[in-house]
Amino acid sequence: MLLTINGRPHDVHVEPFESLASTLRERLQMLGTKVGCDRGECGTCTVLLDDVPVYSCLVLTRSCEGRRIRTIEGVATANELHPVQRAFVTHDAVQCGYCTPGQVMSAIALLEQHALPSDDEIRRSMSGNLCRCGCYPKIHAAVKSVAAAAVEANDDR
Amino acid sequence: MTAEAPRESDGHRRFVTTVVEVEGREETKVVELPVSEPEPWGEDARLTVVGRPIPRVDAAEKVTGRARYTADIVRPRMLHAAIVRATIPAGTISEIDVTGAMAAPGVVDAITLEDIPRIRIDGNTLFDRTVKYVGQPVAAVCAETWQAALAAAEIVRVTIERAAHVATFADAIAADAPLVRRSGNVSRSSPSIMERGNVERGLSEADVIVRGAYRTPPALHTAMEPHGAVAEWEGVGDRLTLWESTQGVFRVRDEVATGLGLSRSRVRVIKEHMGGGFGAKNSAGAHTFIAAILARRTGRAVRCVVDRYGEQVDTGHRPESRIHLTLGARRDGTLTAIVADSQVTMGVGGWEASPTAIMHELYGCENVKTTDVYAWVHSQAMDSFRAPGHVEGAFALERGMDTLARALSIDPLRLRLSNVPGRDQEKGRPYSSDRLRECLVEGARRFGWPGWEAPAGLQDSEMRAGDAVGDGMVREVVAGGGIVEAGGGRRLRGIGMAAQVWGAGGGPPAYATIKLNSDGTADVLSGTQDLGTGTRTVLAQIAAESLGSRFEDVRVVLGDTERTPYAGNSWGSMTIASVGPAVRMAGEEVRRRLCEAAAEMLECRPGDLSARGSVISTRDGTRHLTFADVTGKLGNVMIMGHGSRGPNRRDVGLVTAGAQFAEVEVDAETGQVRVIRIVAVHDAGRIINPLLAQSQLEGGIIQGLGLALFEERIIDRATGVPLNPGMHDYKVPTSKDVPMIDATCLPVTDPQANHIGARGLAEPPIIPTAPAIANAVANATGAAVDELPLTPRRVLHAIRSTYA
Repeated sequence: MLLTINGRPHDVHVEPFESLASTLRERLQMLGTKVGCDRGECGTCTVLLDDVPVYSCLVLTRSCEGRRIRTIEGVATANELHPVQRAFVTHDAVQCGYCTPGQVMSAIALLEQHALPSDDEIRRSMSGNLCRCGCYPKIHAAVKSVAAAAVEANDDR
Repeated sequence: MTAEAPRESDGHRRFVTTVVEVEGREETKVVELPVSEPEPWGEDARLTVVGRPIPRVDAAEKVTGRARYTADIVRPRMLHAAIVRATIPAGTISEIDVTGAMAAPGVVDAITLEDIPRIRIDGNTLFDRTVKYVGQPVAAVCAETWQAALAAAEIVRVTIERAAHVATFADAIAADAPLVRRSGNVSRSSPSIMERGNVERGLSEADVIVRGAYRTPPALHTAMEPHGAVAEWEGVGDRLTLWESTQGVFRVRDEVATGLGLSRSRVRVIKEHMGGGFGAKNSAGAHTFIAAILARRTGRAVRCVVDRYGEQVDTGHRPESRIHLTLGARRDGTLTAIVADSQVTMGVGGWEASPTAIMHELYGCENVKTTDVYAWVHSQAMDSFRAPGHVEGAFALERGMDTLARALSIDPLRLRLSNVPGRDQEKGRPYSSDRLRECLVEGARRFGWPGWEAPAGLQDSEMRAGDAVGDGMVREVVAGGGIVEAGGGRRLRGIGMAAQVWGAGGGPPAYATIKLNSDGTADVLSGTQDLGTGTRTVLAQIAAESLGSRFEDVRVVLGDTERTPYAGNSWGSMTIASVGPAVRMAGEEVRRRLCEAAAEMLECRPGDLSARGSVISTRDGTRHLTFADVTGKLGNVMIMGHGSRGPNRRDVGLVTAGAQFAEVEVDAETGQVRVIRIVAVHDAGRIINPLLAQSQLEGGIIQGLGLALFEERIIDRATGVPLNPGMHDYKVPTSKDVPMIDATCLPVTDPQANHIGARGLAEPPIIPTAPAIANAVANATGAAVDELPLTPRRVLHAIRSTYA
């Protein structure tokens, strides 16, 4: 079957029961998507499917044909971090980093849908991504700063 | 600055016997004295890299998904292993049939007890025929893919002759209880008694005596990355390389070497990134040995990553504690006696982390007696979990202190201030840094604790919260009358506070090597670990400071038993206070040699040169050479420095102190608790990186909040089966649960602790959070909330039983 991941076509053979997380990691060696529970509880494996954040461990790869899959590998360019990634770095929204790719994907999806989310919207939208190190305050600040910067840039135009 | 000769007082002794404290346990070691230790960085030291809030060096790798964790290690022709686990808590295995599993697609090998050497993990034998808990590994299979291995593990047929089990402390100590361990159902040291002074006399001198019974829940570490290992043998199977998610590469090396009968140098353990540990990843586990043994048998690399179920039922936990506490005090609040008895439900193994040790330390009291009993039961073993023992004991002690404050009609903060110990009472020596009082006062100021000067610019909402509770003792619930609809209706506000003490002084042995590369950059090598704590970044700052180089010119290489010099486990909040001084010493040596080389090139004396920002300058500022200029001219002549951690002083106690203040809102109808804000002030000596330190504080507080409100591993008493072995039913905090947090460290240094002036910070912040929250809930409701977690059911029950 043909999968479109980060804008590129991938021709893969997958088992009927195979999860998207498993296809990404084991067949395509795209190891940026981490797996924390493999049963839809922690959000670590979050990727975007048609711009909506999903737990890739719960999505069957067979259901993804013709859909837009975006993973952490497609977020930064070769030389430049995405604004969300940059904000995570400067705000120290990262400790062990294991949940971070999933957090970044959820934050990107949120900001693409709401340019200036309220505090409650950020908390709610990010609540499906667990972080055991407790980076939540810093993640919140990072997401807010990106939203504020984008609005400011828009105002200046 | 630096003494070249061994210190006079030590004569010609190069090796000395010293005592190092690790998580409350003292270990006696013979260690080598460093040849020359730098003078401590004092209060007035002009530091340019240390103390700066630099983003962590590996953040870019982590936000792009490029950071490689154990489950991301891929080796040629690698196999995947899955663990078969017992499904009942006690019994004897009569048969394990792997024939079906071996015939399944992709399966390569399977092992049971017969196929492995006798390997002891935490006092229990790997794959033992005697089953002692649900989740105990009994066999393992490996296959071409992880899915195939998991599927094959499901069809291994295990026949267990069921036996009676014990699930609770009471069950374990009952007459005729089935034995969990052959030695009995309590640990050998039980009852473990510690006594100072005379508590009978202390109680007789008391004007007021309060008693309480407290309970803390069994809690699971629940790191985002499960335990895992990748094993690969070299040549004909005499050298093993292990990639392991661990807090201690050298400890894993030693344990694996012992278990497999190998010489230590034949095992290489590597850890680059890991997805959290919190104490659960201090040792080699079943997964480690399974990967190594299957790799040897198959001649292929094997990855064994524990699945989430296995992670929650078999990788350690904070044991449940029940503590009876009696406090005696004079009318002015002076403590005269502390008496505590604890019961700890260990599981099948673990070490005796005393929940009552904190009773001897946190507050001044001449008469203290504590008795700890540790029981073995048929559930997974205890393992260190962020400030083991102190978290449990602080809950009891700090709830008790609030009860005492109420009985004495003294403000809870003033009661604590009047009992600040001021010295290490157990050893009769001063502290290297005695700042509990400062933490309490500064915290009260930032929080706006009633009666303490509120900070300028405090938000209106914060002011209201402070006002609502008046003297900190006001109840909005009255006895006999149920809930009074005061102010905000059924939502009751309350405030509470608690304090903390924890070792965290670090100690030897720990080593670092710094090599200067021919492009003028430096590599720091040390066998320590970064758990997500920021070790890499902080050590880079210490190295850059001591080298006189730019921060970005330093690269830190950690966690490889073959390529890096020894450093101990990253536990007990010891890493920076242990490894940091070694790194600084190595850096000073490199800088000294670099200046000597530059002096040769500049035709001046080394003493006329100084280094800053990777540039060496003459004192008069007229001539400069960059580090790269010097190393370029040296070509392949290499400058290296070596540093080691010297022993701690014996005449001062090393502790880290702190205080936290909480404001909560309790829904009196549903029992729901919402934490509104936490203020935390801690003293950990010099803060190398305030940004990362704040992250540590926030993380500890959020884990403490989880323990206060949600977290509890539940085992069905009748069947011995864990009922919430996942991240859905075992509730850890999410982004929606996090309050406003104001967390900070005192801007101080501790030159008596070590020459970088830093102590540890990883564990301290979790200690006072739960009692501060519980005290706030008690303040809001007037109810005795003495059992954690404060679920709605428990809060309602506490309110009802108080006002029934």
